[in-house]
Amino acid sequence: MITNLISMNGYGIYVTLSFGITTLACLIIYLKTLKTLKKYEREFSVELQKFSNEEKEAILKKSKVANQVMSSYNKTT
Amino acid sequence: MLSFFSSSNIFSTIEKLIRFIHSIFFLILVLGLTFALVLSPPDITQGDAVRIMYVHVPAAWISLSCYSAMTFFAIFNFIFKLKNFDLINKSIAPIGILFTCLAIATGSIWGQPTWGAWWVWDARLTSMIILLFFYLIYILSLKFINQETLAKKVSSIVLIIGAFNIPIIKYSVDWWNTLHQPASIKIGGTSTIHFSMITPLVLMLLVLLLYSALIFLMKYKTEIIRIKKKNINRL
Repeated sequence: MITNLISMNGYGIYVTLSFGITTLACLIIYLKTLKTLKKYEREFSVELQKFSNEEKEAILKKSKVANQVMSSYNKTT
Repeated sequence: MLSFFSSSNIFSTIEKLIRFIHSIFFLILVLGLTFALVLSPPDITQGDAVRIMYVHVPAAWISLSCYSAMTFFAIFNFIFKLKNFDLINKSIAPIGILFTCLAIATGSIWGQPTWGAWWVWDARLTSMIILLFFYLIYILSLKFINQETLAKKVSSIVLIIGAFNIPIIKYSVDWWNTLHQPASIKIGGTSTIHFSMITPLVLMLLVLLLYSALIFLMKYKTEIIRIKKKNINRL
């Protein structure tokens, strides 16, 4: 039964190739996108660290986005 | 109402959506693959090669939808001059180019057992290659034109010109005598595809749509962070 499922009456190679290429391409794009996102979160955090503690607090208080980026970054580190 | 579209609200919604997609994605992926590779029946003429349809057709649909959406936003951007539309288009483009490549590659693989050739210069295939070129020109114009305003203008014009290719792709199988089969699923008319094949097709479409949404949200989030980082002194 498993042999039949894999060979698919001789079409297995074409079906596996199609699904394989799709999975691989989607996985590469996903990992690349995730890596870029994490890179920008890290760079944003580094930029924020350059400010004094008071300025940093003021920024985080004023900007909801900055706050969320930092909390998302802190979760992954 | 308009306050909902502020970047902070959008940002927290993006976070929630990304978490939601991550939580349901694998369940739908397993379900879709089970139906597509095991439970769906082979076609009476194409045999098991028909299973390629479950990645090829959704990939082609998403590729065309992405381009149509990008054109729509480019036209809106010309009228309303909203920066957000540029960010949306920049985030959709990689998804569009990925699925155009996948539609062409899986179509070529499907062509070998059914037509006996990896590639033919048939109207549908050629118009899909033209679509790929328009995606590439759009991305390259954003990358290589240094002046930001000019880059946005040129890329929007490229999108609008390329939009004329969309109806050509859609109707190429009706207008010309092509090797590519005509549409089996018609929204307005009667579909010629059996229900047992529609289920895996819809499930695989859902899988790839969720994946596209995930990539879009991650790209869009990256763009917002990039802008916030650039303007950090103004925060």
